[in-house]
Amino acid sequence: MRTYLTICTAGALLLFARGTAPPPQLQVVNGQSTPSPSQPNGALSTRVVAYTIDAKLNTTNHSIDATETLVYRNLTGQPQQTFPFHLYLNAFQPQSTLMTEVRLHGARGVGSDSGWDEKHRASITINKLEVEGVDLAGKMQFIQPDDHNTNDHTVFQVTLPQPVAPGASVEFHITFHDELPEVLYRTGYKRDFYMIGQWFPKVGVWWKNAWNCHQFHADSEFFADFGTFDVNLTLPQNEIVGAAGDLISTVNNPDGTKSMKFHSADIHDFSWTASPDFTVVEDSWTGSAGPVKIHVLMSPGHMSSASRYIQAQKGTLAWYDKWIGPYPYPRITIVDPPHGAGNAGGMEYPTLFTASTAWFMPREFLVPEDVVNHEFGHQYWYGMVATNEFEDAWLDEGINSYMEAKSMDALYGPKTSMVNFPFATLGISDLLRLEYISLPDTDPLTRFSWKYISDNAYGGVTYGKTGTVLLTLEKIIGEDTMLAAMHEYFLRYRFKHPTSEDFLKTIEDVSHRDLRWYFDQAVYGTNVLDYDIWDAHSDRLNWWEKEIRGKNPNEELHRTYVTVHRKGDFIFPVDVVVKFEDGSVATEYWDGSDRWIRYIYDRKAKLASAEIDPLNQVRLDRNSFNNSFVVQEDNRAIHKLHNIWIFGSEWVSQLLAWLS
Amino acid sequence: MRLAPRPKTFASGAALVWRWQRILWWIFIINLALAYWATKGMAERADWALSHSVASGRLVNGFDLFSLAELAGQPDTPIEQPGPAVFHYSFIFAIFMLFATGGILATYVFDAKPTATAFFEACGHHFWRFFRLVIYLMLALIPVAIFTVICRVMRNRIDAVSNSPRSADFFFIGALLIILLLIMVLRLWFDMAQVIAVAEDETRMHRALRHSASLLAHNFGSLFWLYLRISLLAWIVVGLGMYLWMFRLSPLSTTAAFLLTQLMLVFWIAARLWQRASEALWYRQYQAASVTELAYTPTPSPQPAPIPYSTAMN
Repeated sequence: MRTYLTICTAGALLLFARGTAPPPQLQVVNGQSTPSPSQPNGALSTRVVAYTIDAKLNTTNHSIDATETLVYRNLTGQPQQTFPFHLYLNAFQPQSTLMTEVRLHGARGVGSDSGWDEKHRASITINKLEVEGVDLAGKMQFIQPDDHNTNDHTVFQVTLPQPVAPGASVEFHITFHDELPEVLYRTGYKRDFYMIGQWFPKVGVWWKNAWNCHQFHADSEFFADFGTFDVNLTLPQNEIVGAAGDLISTVNNPDGTKSMKFHSADIHDFSWTASPDFTVVEDSWTGSAGPVKIHVLMSPGHMSSASRYIQAQKGTLAWYDKWIGPYPYPRITIVDPPHGAGNAGGMEYPTLFTASTAWFMPREFLVPEDVVNHEFGHQYWYGMVATNEFEDAWLDEGINSYMEAKSMDALYGPKTSMVNFPFATLGISDLLRLEYISLPDTDPLTRFSWKYISDNAYGGVTYGKTGTVLLTLEKIIGEDTMLAAMHEYFLRYRFKHPTSEDFLKTIEDVSHRDLRWYFDQAVYGTNVLDYDIWDAHSDRLNWWEKEIRGKNPNEELHRTYVTVHRKGDFIFPVDVVVKFEDGSVATEYWDGSDRWIRYIYDRKAKLASAEIDPLNQVRLDRNSFNNSFVVQEDNRAIHKLHNIWIFGSEWVSQLLAWLS
Repeated sequence: MRLAPRPKTFASGAALVWRWQRILWWIFIINLALAYWATKGMAERADWALSHSVASGRLVNGFDLFSLAELAGQPDTPIEQPGPAVFHYSFIFAIFMLFATGGILATYVFDAKPTATAFFEACGHHFWRFFRLVIYLMLALIPVAIFTVICRVMRNRIDAVSNSPRSADFFFIGALLIILLLIMVLRLWFDMAQVIAVAEDETRMHRALRHSASLLAHNFGSLFWLYLRISLLAWIVVGLGMYLWMFRLSPLSTTAAFLLTQLMLVFWIAARLWQRASEALWYRQYQAASVTELAYTPTPSPQPAPIPYSTAMN
């Protein structure tokens, strides 16, 4: 463990207390959460909500009938009378905001040109909403805070007869009915497989002194308060179930169903999955917070990936435990969706996530490992550090992508962590950069997730650019300091809802640097970073005299010019290394403030090469090919490429000639 | 009429290709030259970015997929989409092959060294006939395309209902094999029609196709096996070449890689010519057998002794 991990980092987490009592605090010592004496129940989070749900799955018509009791604790510091709720499943209707946005630019593998299919229709209907014995279902009002699309019914608000005093609690008793879609956007059914996420009425978050309850968008995820979940699921006895909680009991009912009770605390969402075809594979891993049970639910035909999932999970757990902080939950559940349910794959929920593989998956193609690594990373960046995914998607997907690059590169090699064939390789950090360079200047990282110019821009900026921005930050503050900052950020904000500024401030605190110049361009701006060697050549100093035959040219003095140009509008300090034919080297540092700079050297030796950022640390530079100039021409790369292109072209010719 | 299988046709076809190997080398050179021109512009642009850049080393020492993608992703892209140029030059090659097929088949059917004039006369003589055959082939491919679409729909249906991810894929792989065999049969049929057109100087292509279909129907086993053997050999050799290229050859060996890839292509072209030469040879034998049969048919003998075609041919 690195030195900084052994330094005590004390933090305080506000914990809920009933009534007007001051909230108890959770002490964080050496990366371990220890409850203060005023917090006897050992809670890790401020438990704002307590959900008790009793749900029955109907596998014939793919629906759920449920009752929900929500105890909401008013920690907003002011009386609250109006409460907003999410009804995410109502997004699966053709005129919803989500579907309108999909039609505009596609999302999550659904093309903009794809038509509407009734099998994807879903809904959530509230039959009863009762508070203090008064049925308020008739007072529910659908609202559209983001786009005023009155056909969107993914958010409603209800006004109570009486306001809830600060520090007091209110109980909502809700009866609701879910109609599930065939798997789309992470949730639904496929044959006898069920992935049930975002399935119950969920209250919004009081954040930044206002309710935060956005509609369900094509390019957005979720935001919710921490709390407890007691969920009783009734479903056919042959179903194998995975859920985001500890199984408390299972009771077989006379009607052929069974009831399974789950409990979970200090999480902000509850998802579950069921299928009679799952094969359960179990393993465990012990870290600094104790043992973690790894629970893998494998779909038919995918068993060959089970060991790869587990190996990746253990490696990722160990990496996070070492560099970021302990994983405090006793279990992690990996759900392997069956074929045809790919839309449920690669999604994170607290203590449960969905992976992705295929029946034929070469070991050299590290998709199962990468998906496990990424989705488990979300247990930290979303699960515990619970940022607002609607407004600050870069804080969960982006930071997680950066961590993914660091951990995958550490576990599987920096150039081989995604593709590792003898004839072709690809690393995760390079993959992130590739996503970034395709759309480097359309949107700042801080754009609300549904406001990007396109779905591709959302992905390219949120995942690719953020990862690349943070990798480049290592060049400024150093890799160790960067990882220390991530560790500190985790410790400060686990079980909280930090903002973009909280994250950036933490980096500045840990690095003891003012990094506003960088954040303004890379995080808040859309500046493009691109440096190139404008010109590099040597000339005889006495160029006006004729060259003397037979005279050793190395005896003459040469003037070497190296002009470095800042092509983009992103100002970033760079190193420039100039090499000469006699092996001597000149290293320059340029702050990049002007548009260009020219270096002049008078030496006997002529120029051999000039290179900007020789260690390839400025990952944000969108074109690394123009960063250098080598005098000695090397045609090997182009010969190699040309050969491949010729060969491909010849085969296209052969294919067409087959018709003749 | 039915001809007994003739094992010698397979080897003799290869000998015929070897004997007139000049055809093979010309086709290869033209294919290579057109492919070179199709990709020349792209290579020149990439050369501008790569030849003096340290970053190009990532493509030399191994093959970093990211570097290629980065190169292609630049706004002043050194690598433009090669599709149109490659397609245009490939189309030219296909037209050239359509033109040259008359001369090639005449050489194989008559097995005599043609002068350049005779070769090109044969090319021109048969060009429009073969052009009509291409149109017929397109029409014949429509049912195959429909069958492919049906298989794809069935694959999706199996995928939707089956719990096993393999069922649908295995079904489609099986369907693709059938489609491949159907396409081979179609090509065999049309190749034979081309041979008939040359050997008989048949001007009406629908008659050539009917004659070809009749021959194929009566000699399907031997003709198809002849084709399939050569195809299998070609696939094995190309597969082996790809394996060597990707897994065994040093990434630094650009010259060796070029030679290996071109060797694969030479063998592929040779295999295609081998199929045509074998078919031409088979048809020559068939013609000879027909003549032999004709010689005996008018014999007014009350009990004419039947001559086995195999004996007649030996």
